[in-house]
Amino acid sequence: MPEFKTWNLEQFKEWIDLCLHCGACYARGPIVPHNWRELPPHEYAAPHKKCPPFEYFKFKNYSPQGRQILASLIFNDRYEIDEEVIRSFFSCTSCAMCNEICIPYRPMYTVLAMRQEIVEKGLEIPNPLKKITDNIQSSGNIFGSRKHPEIFKELSIPETGEDIFYSGCYATYLQPETALASVKILKSAGIDIAHLGDKEGCCGEMLKQSGNMELFKKTAVENVEKLKQAGAKRVIISCAHGYSTFKNDYTNPHVVGALPFEVIHITEMIASLLKNGRIRFSKNLNKTVTYHDPCFLGRQCGIYTQPREILAAIPGLTLNEMDRYGKWSYCCGAGGKVTMNAFPEMAKETGKERLLEARAVADTLVTSCPTCLAHFKKTAKTEGIDIEIVDVSMLVAKTMELVD
Amino acid sequence: MLDENLIKELKAIVGPKMVSTAPTVCESYAYSFSLSIDWVTRPEIVVMPTTTRHVSEIVKLANRYKVPVTPKGVAGMTGHGGPLHGGILLDFIHMDKILLIDDKNMKAVTEPGCSFFKLAQELFKKEMILPTAEYGPGPNVAASAITPVNGFGKTRYGRNIDLVEGFEVVLPTGEIVQIGSMAYAETDFGPFFRYITGPDLIGLFTQSNGAYGIVTKIAYRCLKRPPYWSFFTYYWPLEKIRKCAEVLQEATAMELFDVHINDKWKFEAFKYLTGVSLVPDDCYFCVIFSINGFSQQELEGKRKTVEALCSGLEGKELPGIAETFFDAWPTFFCPPTHPIAAQLADAGYKVIKGGYMYLYDSMNYPLSWFPEVYEKIMEIAQKHKIHGPPRLTVFDGFPMKSQVMCSQTWAFVNRKDPEWMQAIHKSTEELREWFGKRGGTYQQCFPPVLPDFTWTNQKSAHTLLKRFKQFLDPNNILSPGTF
Repeated sequence: MPEFKTWNLEQFKEWIDLCLHCGACYARGPIVPHNWRELPPHEYAAPHKKCPPFEYFKFKNYSPQGRQILASLIFNDRYEIDEEVIRSFFSCTSCAMCNEICIPYRPMYTVLAMRQEIVEKGLEIPNPLKKITDNIQSSGNIFGSRKHPEIFKELSIPETGEDIFYSGCYATYLQPETALASVKILKSAGIDIAHLGDKEGCCGEMLKQSGNMELFKKTAVENVEKLKQAGAKRVIISCAHGYSTFKNDYTNPHVVGALPFEVIHITEMIASLLKNGRIRFSKNLNKTVTYHDPCFLGRQCGIYTQPREILAAIPGLTLNEMDRYGKWSYCCGAGGKVTMNAFPEMAKETGKERLLEARAVADTLVTSCPTCLAHFKKTAKTEGIDIEIVDVSMLVAKTMELVD
Repeated sequence: MLDENLIKELKAIVGPKMVSTAPTVCESYAYSFSLSIDWVTRPEIVVMPTTTRHVSEIVKLANRYKVPVTPKGVAGMTGHGGPLHGGILLDFIHMDKILLIDDKNMKAVTEPGCSFFKLAQELFKKEMILPTAEYGPGPNVAASAITPVNGFGKTRYGRNIDLVEGFEVVLPTGEIVQIGSMAYAETDFGPFFRYITGPDLIGLFTQSNGAYGIVTKIAYRCLKRPPYWSFFTYYWPLEKIRKCAEVLQEATAMELFDVHINDKWKFEAFKYLTGVSLVPDDCYFCVIFSINGFSQQELEGKRKTVEALCSGLEGKELPGIAETFFDAWPTFFCPPTHPIAAQLADAGYKVIKGGYMYLYDSMNYPLSWFPEVYEKIMEIAQKHKIHGPPRLTVFDGFPMKSQVMCSQTWAFVNRKDPEWMQAIHKSTEELREWFGKRGGTYQQCFPPVLPDFTWTNQKSAHTLLKRFKQFLDPNNILSPGTF
């Protein structure tokens, strides 16, 4: 089977006519009802609602199937890209649920290919994404902040070393407490952790999501080089997007290829430290929590068990799963930061739906992605949904009494 | 040119977010779930009603503006589920509620956009089952009942339309009527029986493409789901085709859940790619049996009866095939998600460098005619060099109650490759000619493609259908071009 995520645009153009138009990628209901004797196991029990932009905008062109049709026509020069096409492709949340459903054709990769086509044709992408692209180019971060915050000042960690913590834009500029918590956990396990400090640049995920593959490739090469120069043997990332970008996209032979260091998500690291007895959880937290699988960590990187192992080890914590969990987890609405910026109303509605789903089973929603965290917090506030929202590293740091 | 006032009024009926005239939106509705035809017609307006009242108001409005209205259909991977002449396309995907599951009287009533998967899931929880194989994730319950084509996926119980017991329909005037069991829906008895006093009206709306009315509620007859199931395969060599046919006839007359036949070419894609054969050298026809029972003894009894039938007619048992295709997770009727289907797609990539299998006929005929029809299909396929690897012309047969065989033939062909498509089209035309002269009609595309055996072979019926159309829909508003 072709491995779409390592493909380039030209290969997509050649193979695009594959969709059968069956609609499994967005139609309501499970994709498999039963096998005569029993209901499907979780692996095949796709949820009732699947595709956030389709649920919000209602029409087929906002579904994976509709986008496949449009992409096929456009790649075959049978249809012109118009404003509605651009909306159809940029409203995709990249949640990748369609990729789980449609194993042969992986529709989400078509969306990314089409965004690249839109940029290569010199067409206008949504304004907020242009702004983010400019920010990354001018300031090295998605927010356009000129000043790099000194988030680890109190810990005075080095800028070079074999183990480098990559904090990413969200944790660095919006949620320094989560980055700090991660580093404290690592240090308490005896890891000599380093951080590039103000040399750390944006991973470039938003450039890829915005279709600007040329700039993305340049950014990826620069980042890998910086980490290599700093002596990295292991890069530990707390951001689900950064992790997926390093792990899945940098390794694409059309981008960087094989990396000279290992890439580890903070939840993988914590779960492993816990297993090896290098860290211990002590404080009882007395909470009923539910875990939101970030799309970029779960479906895109296959990390489902480690965060749950961590939560299970925290004293006093009860984990209740939502209806949609694991590989069928619903998007938080942030949509790879694309939809939260370019389609904020849709992002809000999607986030609201997910928050209500969480609140039905728990009083605290735990996640392991700073984008999900920020979007959930903002949506809960604007929609008045009463639920605590917390990053898994923060919970760990609390139970280890590393933070208050 | 669309009247701006029409758009305004449509938006007033269903809400502004449920109407679109954007070319890109409409373009995405121009294509169907089809392995057989590339019929592309773009609607001018896509409207998503959420209530029967919406549908009624839309139809009244369409009459005033003389704009066609077509409900989105298509079933079983064949046919076209969109408009034939532009106008308004009604997409019912947001009108998908299950309205009733009556486990005592074994009935289910849903809105038209409910998917079979959703309905099947809920029925399962109440120990019921729809004896259909026409799941396919795309088709919704009403779409499959109104699409006038045959396609993949039937059990011995027949097509989905054989399970329909009642409709709520919006007529071309906008009037809402309840027919069949739905005529009883609001009474104390509920939708219990298909037949009302007088003629059975259900048939006027099934396979109608929505030309006589738009289905807004649909009642299905369900079966109790037995807890014991068994799936097994017997095979015959090519020269024993008549013995195999005899088994099909006998087995279809028994109380089994399903009988299905494939020739060996279905499994040859694996051999072609890997060199490993899934079937023995002397295997040519595989007959797959799905049986069930309310007790282990009943199941074993049925299995023994079928095994005696098969062995008595020189069949040999073939372990592994039925168990893999029909018993494993997930069900086979979900092409893109099934691991085996994914492998088929993989074979498609590798063998034909793109595309997927192409369905080039779909026909119904007396089960007793199976040997003659099969031999003709293969004779024509050999003549046009689509028989055997790499095109792997595959026969897929669904014997049904009433001793009717519904079969499709498909091949791995890249639709972009003019040479192979020409060979396929020549085979299709030659077979249609042979088949049509015997009284058969192709049923995988609608309206029928030329030569038009569908109407020439059913002349008086066609005349009556047209007369009904004129009477019910004088403005020719609903799905024009259907009859």
